Amino acid sequence: MEKGEIMDKNLIIFDNMTRLLRAKELLRKNGIYSQTVRTPSGAGKGSCGYSLKVRNNYEKAFELINNSGIKVVGVSAVDYN
Amino acid sequence: MIYFDNGATSYPKPKSVVNAVNYAMNNCANPGRSGHRLSLKSSELIFKCRENLAMLFDLDNAEKIIFTNNCTTALNTVIKGTLKSGDHVIISSLEHNAVLRPVAALEKQGVSYSVAEVVQGDDEQTIGNFRGLINAKTKMIICTHASNVFGIKLPVNRIAAMCKIYGILFCVDAAQTAGIEPISLKNSDIDYLCTAGHKGLYGPMGTGVLVINSERTPDSLTQGGTGSFSADINQPDVLPDKYESGTPNVSGIAGLNEGVKFVLNRGTENISSYEAQLAQRLYDGLSNIGRVELYTAFPDSESCAPVISFNIKDMDCEQTAERLNKFNIAVRAGLHCAPLAHKSMGTLEKGTVRAVMSVFNNRAQVNYFLNAVNKISKV
Repeated sequence: MEKGEIMDKNLIIFDNMTRLLRAKELLRKNGIYSQTVRTPSGAGKGSCGYSLKVRNNYEKAFELINNSGIKVVGVSAVDYN
Repeated sequence: MIYFDNGATSYPKPKSVVNAVNYAMNNCANPGRSGHRLSLKSSELIFKCRENLAMLFDLDNAEKIIFTNNCTTALNTVIKGTLKSGDHVIISSLEHNAVLRPVAALEKQGVSYSVAEVVQGDDEQTIGNFRGLINAKTKMIICTHASNVFGIKLPVNRIAAMCKIYGILFCVDAAQTAGIEPISLKNSDIDYLCTAGHKGLYGPMGTGVLVINSERTPDSLTQGGTGSFSADINQPDVLPDKYESGTPNVSGIAGLNEGVKFVLNRGTENISSYEAQLAQRLYDGLSNIGRVELYTAFPDSESCAPVISFNIKDMDCEQTAERLNKFNIAVRAGLHCAPLAHKSMGTLEKGTVRAVMSVFNNRAQVNYFLNAVNKISKV
């Protein structure tokens, strides 16, 4: 996934809950707060149904996860407000 | 009650384990399915257990940890998910029925198997016996890490290295050693490790673990809902979802998580050393009682897990166990679901009495036990 594609996004989508939680733990260890949320319908093909919502440091979060080898299946934007 | 039946299941459990089961019953819902708080809490709790197990087995990826109902289910997954008609498998002469029966069942479907004799105290000969049975069709070697009856340990790392040379898969049954012996799967050639969650890991009964430490993954024996890839009619190929269809045993896994933390906090090397001292004291004491028959050499921790089998001469093992029960001592007598092991040690006809201790036992209990055996032997 190219860096340009993740601009203005706040969701990182996974195919597997274990991978999502590995990523969440990785972010926590790097001081980045993330929240497990349901993936909006149609937002993520191949999603396990859950995504990580990252409000701040999204690009750094994505980079950390990508570099760790944890598979990401997509990114999206969502506003639950 | 002096409980020396920890080879069947550990008792008592740490209080944290009991509390965690209760907590999960009251605070967790179906994990990986819904987005509400109770479901997410459940998923996170299961993940923590995976991470702690990965730490215990020195793995860098918690996805390799699969939860099962018990060690038997884990072994069946590996055996039946890997072996096909025409394949050959080698097992050891100390295997539990959890290995022998699925292998024997597959024999009716065209899988052949051989039994490699384990030679106590001679790892070279044991490895040679495995090597001598390898043929062009040999796909896997399965062996126990330590006999559930006699405690004899197999040189699993050396067998694993041999398997790698021959391109053979290697599966270890660690039911009696996980949590008791240090096990590192980092850089290990062990492909699959199966264990119970309720013995040396101090979790609740009905929990087991399969570690997939190989790119060659067995077929899944059960297909169904995993909460992932729901639009696809095919079972997901990703770990751990591939093997975890249906609602998991959340309260059991919550308890197992605390059991694993209990082990991590104590350290497997400390646990191993403590239990070995108790087993050695027990062995020494039994060897000084005239009518007691022992079947193994002195249980040094290098070659033996802390499992002691014995008989009182001319007394049925079940009678011995029943008399110990009257002293408020719990042991297990009989064949321990391991006829191969008893055949190998010459005790298939009469069985043995087995004593297995945990971190909750102590020297005073060993002394009481020896005193009881001494009295029973004089009847």
